[in-house]
Amino acid sequence: MKWNWGFILRRLAYSVLALVGLSILVFAIARVLPGDPVRLALGPHASASAVFQLRIQLHLNQPIWLQYIYWIEGIFTGNWGISLFTHRNVLTDVEAFLPATLELLIAAAAIDILIAVPLGVIAGRRENTVVDNAVRVLSYVGIAIPSFVVAIFLQHFFPSYVGQLSPGVQPPPHITGLAFLDALVTAHFSTAWNALLHIIPPAFALALGPIAQEARIMRSSVVENLGRDYTVAEISRGLPERVITLKYLMKPSLIPTITIYALDISSLIANAFLVELIFNWGGFSQYGLNAILSKDLNAIVAVVMIAGVLFVISNFLVDLTVGYLDPRIRLQSRSDE
Amino acid sequence: MRISFPQKTRTAIGRTAVVGIVIVVIVVAAIAGYAAMTMTSKSTTTSTTQSSASQSPTISPTTSTSVTPTTSVNSSILSITWANVPVTDPAIGSDEASTSALVNLYDTLIFPEPSGQVVPDLATTWTTSPNGTTYTFTLRSGVTFHNGDPLTASDVVYSMNRLLTMGQGYSYLFTAYVKSVTAPNSNTVVFNLKKTFGPFLSALVRLYVLDQNQVAAHEVSTGTQYGNNLDYGSAWLLTHDAGSGAYTTESANLETNIVITEYKNYWNGTNANQPATVNMIGSDNPSTVSSLFKSGQIQITDQWQPYTDVKALGSLPSAKLVSIPAVNEMYIMINTQEAPTNDLYVREAMTYALNYTAVVDNIFTGNSLAQGPVPTALPGHNPNIPVAHQNVTLAKQLIQQSRYYKAGNLSSYSITYYWVTQVPAEQQLAEEFASDMQAIGLKVNVVGEPWLTVVADLGNQTSSPNIVSVEDDASYYEAGSLLQSRYTTPSEGTWEQNEWLHNSTLDNLIYAALSTLDQTQRFQDYMNIQQQIYNMYPTIYAYDVTEIRAYYPTVVNWYAASGHPNALLGYNFIFRDFQFYPSQLTALFG
Repeated sequence: MKWNWGFILRRLAYSVLALVGLSILVFAIARVLPGDPVRLALGPHASASAVFQLRIQLHLNQPIWLQYIYWIEGIFTGNWGISLFTHRNVLTDVEAFLPATLELLIAAAAIDILIAVPLGVIAGRRENTVVDNAVRVLSYVGIAIPSFVVAIFLQHFFPSYVGQLSPGVQPPPHITGLAFLDALVTAHFSTAWNALLHIIPPAFALALGPIAQEARIMRSSVVENLGRDYTVAEISRGLPERVITLKYLMKPSLIPTITIYALDISSLIANAFLVELIFNWGGFSQYGLNAILSKDLNAIVAVVMIAGVLFVISNFLVDLTVGYLDPRIRLQSRSDE
Repeated sequence: MRISFPQKTRTAIGRTAVVGIVIVVIVVAAIAGYAAMTMTSKSTTTSTTQSSASQSPTISPTTSTSVTPTTSVNSSILSITWANVPVTDPAIGSDEASTSALVNLYDTLIFPEPSGQVVPDLATTWTTSPNGTTYTFTLRSGVTFHNGDPLTASDVVYSMNRLLTMGQGYSYLFTAYVKSVTAPNSNTVVFNLKKTFGPFLSALVRLYVLDQNQVAAHEVSTGTQYGNNLDYGSAWLLTHDAGSGAYTTESANLETNIVITEYKNYWNGTNANQPATVNMIGSDNPSTVSSLFKSGQIQITDQWQPYTDVKALGSLPSAKLVSIPAVNEMYIMINTQEAPTNDLYVREAMTYALNYTAVVDNIFTGNSLAQGPVPTALPGHNPNIPVAHQNVTLAKQLIQQSRYYKAGNLSSYSITYYWVTQVPAEQQLAEEFASDMQAIGLKVNVVGEPWLTVVADLGNQTSSPNIVSVEDDASYYEAGSLLQSRYTTPSEGTWEQNEWLHNSTLDNLIYAALSTLDQTQRFQDYMNIQQQIYNMYPTIYAYDVTEIRAYYPTVVNWYAASGHPNALLGYNFIFRDFQFYPSQLTALFG
């Protein structure tokens, strides 16, 4: 398979530029939020020396541009600054809380694509039938209901599945930080089962909206491609429907779906803020929410930046996936050159 | 043109779809069947228990028919929710969740009784020098930390020095008074004070004793640095403990919960039926708490649930609603420097215009009417101050005596009232206030602000609103604690004072009371000060806070809910004094 490497490198460069811009923006916004972060962290009774010391440590006595340089320097040396909420290096917090959220996002993304694509294909193939209409109604409902409402609903029916594991269930040995995966690879199967049961409700709450949206996109795409000449030709040649659907119809139909899928995955991080809170998930989004509420400067910047990095990575991967699915996109820039 | 596949092919695809659907149905049925079996086992055990529970409070464990223990309630753990995850560094933690953990993980020299008196704990005896500036404590022998290290006087010295150096948490109680701490021998500690501090013994219940060697072994060079002590072990202490208390930290997730287990070698022994493990969950999200409680995942709710929610939980079978008095008070703080609330008559009129009964009956249901600047449960409270009550006629008369009314420009002022958006019920209080003030001709502009903005705006006088409503509580068991933090000049610019009193006479009175050694005299001084503050009408005392929680009385016998509370922050949760019946929990929820 031929790739246009110039195209890929340009995408990478744009991504880095976007992240630099994001870092400046977030860094500045975090510092103009109301409230003295030091006083908020130390409380009204903290001694003047403690306040002074923390202010110096956070470089709050320096101009904002210098604070930014200190922060950038710290990013590359492992010193992401102190969290005012957990009193630890933010990098330590990220290592502690990000895996739980990644696991949730992976589960949500998997549920999303595994349900949305078949639903879209079935609806597209059965255009204007009862099945299509049923999927349409389900899609509208899914799009209309915010993820946190679904989360509350699910939590009501599955109250035992709050948190990553049931109380008293020993967490598996730390390998990746992903409870289900770690339990599985270390042969703690009852723990893995417990982790799986716990992840399904919040992951489904996160995935429902994207499922609905992508099912609609997929359905439209299938209907459109079903009317194209090459499909008519394949049908007229007597190819089995399964072959036509899976080999010739799915690939082009997936392109718009995958593009939306990438955007939806990125938005999962934002939606996870409330869903994690409702399920007391203890992940990165819950950490971010607390950081914002307590004006935890370094934590806020770290959370937004990591969300930004995940967004950029998912978009970059989508570019590659779409390029894989459609050679015209993959090679377009090359032919331009 | 509509394109469709030939019928034959459609049949082939249809077969594939059917196979796929069958597989999905089988998987879903398996999961549903599993869930159904679990629920069946729960309902079976629940019905058995309810009938048994009414007959006897000490049921023997029932045989669980749960299919998979991982999805049922873990009956060996007592689980409770708090507003946040406890901060378990004794030099940092000072909120309700943190103190509730600290009093179990660590020991203190003395222990506070609900009456306000202190009794021996780590210290068996103590003496005070005639001038009241030297306190000598003799330590109990045979006390060990959780790692087996013996607890000595040098650990006490280290703990106080660490608290003072870090300057956070409860350090402010001692900073102005403690000159030095020494350990003449391994079981004697001497505190030398710069000046007399009457409630020193009461304040010492906030000095949690750490294992010096264990903390020193975990000091790191990241985080806030304290010279040679590096971070003073602060990062490690957030997820571990170095105490000698009845419980020790088993695990900690700073975003969700900490789990503590009983310390078998506790110097005071272990009590029969005390919970072996306690799960302290940091979540007061109503939806989460409701689900957890209904399913038996928690046995006691936090105190921050909306009243309607906690009332519903308390009315569940086998559950109970309980009200526990606290040393908190809801203050409607009035800015005494800003027009028109800088007029005494305006403030007094507002005090009489508010419908307090509506507040405690309809808004913050279950709380009790306040009686001046100090909660009634706090030793040193002045019982002679009138209970808050509404008198609209008097309020109208008072407002007419204000200089703004006489000048005819009262209606040109709008009184800004901040309520904290994180506590939705406060909006109802603000609206009630605005409505009541309208009756006496005062215009109130109700503004909801997030806590960050409230703290920021209270940072200086010019940005402070006319009024803000905030709850505050005592750090130790004396009225002086709240009088100092609420009404002295140093607390101006913090969220604890929007009154901006600038009153050096009052400052001197409060400091003089705090320096009085004789408790009877000191309490009398507190009462006089309360009366003086009351007469200045700088605050509207909305209500005394009562903690309203739901719990399962057959599962946990909790002294605070049984009429023997210890209202000092954290002390209602001495888990060693709880009686926990896992068999009951199993019987109720499987």
